[in-house]
Amino acid sequence: MTGSLVHPMPSQPGVSRELPYDEVHRLQETARRIRATCIQLAHDGKEGHLNGALSSVDILLALYGGWLNTTPVDPRNPDRDRLLFSKGHACTSLYAVLAESGFLPKEMLALYAQNDSPLPSHPCVHALPLLECSAGSLGHGLGMAGGIAYGLRLDGRPSRVVALISDGECNEGSTWEAATFGAANGLDRLLVVVDNNGVQSVGRADALMGGTSIEEKFEAFGWRARTVDGHDIGALLSVLREVPFEKGRPSAIVAKTTAGKGVSFMEDQVLWHYRVPSDEDLKNALAELDAVPIHFSV
Amino acid sequence: MTDVASRNDRVAFVTGDLGFQVFDEFQSRFGPRYVNVGVAEAQMIYTAAGMATEGWRPVAYSIASFATARPFEQIRYCVAYPGLPVVLVGAGRGYLYSTSGVSHHAADDLALMTSLPGMTVVAPGDPEEVVQLLPQLFELQGPSYITVGRFGEPDYQALEPAVLGKARKLCDGERVAVLCTGEIANEVLKAVDVLRPDRIHPSVYQVHTVKPLDEATLSLLVDSFDTLIVVEEHVPAGGLWAAVAAWLASNGKVVRTMRLGAPDAFALGNLKQAELRRRFGIDAPSIAEACRRAWRKERAQ
Repeated sequence: MTGSLVHPMPSQPGVSRELPYDEVHRLQETARRIRATCIQLAHDGKEGHLNGALSSVDILLALYGGWLNTTPVDPRNPDRDRLLFSKGHACTSLYAVLAESGFLPKEMLALYAQNDSPLPSHPCVHALPLLECSAGSLGHGLGMAGGIAYGLRLDGRPSRVVALISDGECNEGSTWEAATFGAANGLDRLLVVVDNNGVQSVGRADALMGGTSIEEKFEAFGWRARTVDGHDIGALLSVLREVPFEKGRPSAIVAKTTAGKGVSFMEDQVLWHYRVPSDEDLKNALAELDAVPIHFSV
Repeated sequence: MTDVASRNDRVAFVTGDLGFQVFDEFQSRFGPRYVNVGVAEAQMIYTAAGMATEGWRPVAYSIASFATARPFEQIRYCVAYPGLPVVLVGAGRGYLYSTSGVSHHAADDLALMTSLPGMTVVAPGDPEEVVQLLPQLFELQGPSYITVGRFGEPDYQALEPAVLGKARKLCDGERVAVLCTGEIANEVLKAVDVLRPDRIHPSVYQVHTVKPLDEATLSLLVDSFDTLIVVEEHVPAGGLWAAVAAWLASNGKVVRTMRLGAPDAFALGNLKQAELRRRFGIDAPSIAEACRRAWRKERAQ
């Protein structure tokens, strides 16, 4: 399946400013449209969680645009790379990026959070079998990813497995059981990307974790970890190309992000973890983003 | 396990750092198909669930309380919800590890596991029953929970083989039918011996599969016996008694029923298993006495 990426990226390693200007510009424009889509979905579906959705957009675009070896033409290929989207509440960004990447028809987005929807407000494998896992209960994605990576290695498959988790999920003890397992078994095709937006459901991550460093914690658990600007798609692609950071060890990328990224009145506010945007909020947000959703809303 | 794994090359074994030397042969024969995740029951379930997602048929093994109550959410969310074919094995259910304290008691495991949609729940009574039932669980498309003992219990004689989902007749009798599940079957069989000189002959059915419940056999028993006695090493909620009573009530079946089982309480006092069973009225003499009472009631009619 090599070469079957949805958006093939330049193969040479490089930091963001070394990426072709057109490519960065294109991805940035796509990111704005994905953000507009997330806000439209939250508004229409009356399900919030925009903080974590907007903070994860660039990470998802980097993963689907330049790292994950998977294709909508053959989405269940056994040798594909697996993405486990663990921060299920933030799934509007996942759905939008899947649609943008050709894994879902864009018109399906209009069904978000409706009765019997393939796109419920927390992803469900029964509703959307394309997914690697359901998500909604926090702290399960990395552990599942470890089990999947172990099983794939036992089968001799080349697949890599990435879990996209929130910094809030680093509160969960199970995340650290998973970290222990990944290191103990030398799962170097396992990657965790932490969407470190700093804002949780009713509090701030830093305060709730005593100001400790997520990168240092993964390092202490035997992983190799890097911290990167999670809104710099070029920087994300750059660091992703270096995975695994060390042979025989799992890799962690701590993506420093901003909750509610892209809309000034949403950014870095606990309020927008749950809040559903009003008609007025939607209008103002789309105007500020200077973008329209990728789908036609009903 | 070794036997099952040698016939099915997709079977793997995940332990939460328990089973010292018990699985050495498995490990040496199957290498990385054996994995010890450490004292990390959440990760034990994740590993099994992740492997099952990729087409493996994993067993996850720990002491019954640590296999069920401890990682309950992982079982519910990552195994039962997606319907993955993980075989969860709980060692020493009930009060087998009685003197280790409430931490090690698993008198609520059947309640926890039967509450999960799609979960098959099996409590064999002797090692032979485990050997017969375990391979049948690997034929299932969904998750299952099975309990095992201390690998030293005696085998009992039964009148028929153990078939998943079917109550197994251990003794032929009349008027009183004793239904039991798990290793307490051995106490029931001792009670049958105690009653023999009195010419009291209850039938004994080992309901190893608590879910799905063998409704067909239950229906026959209601029609053929005057009293059903359910014996369980389990709290009143969610065990065999609860399943049988709910089925009777839901189906409008009227038959005299009795329950012998643990109370709705934590078992305190560092008691030996035999003493606990005596105090909870589920040792052989208590079961025999209950059968006598039931038998006399029929006589009086």
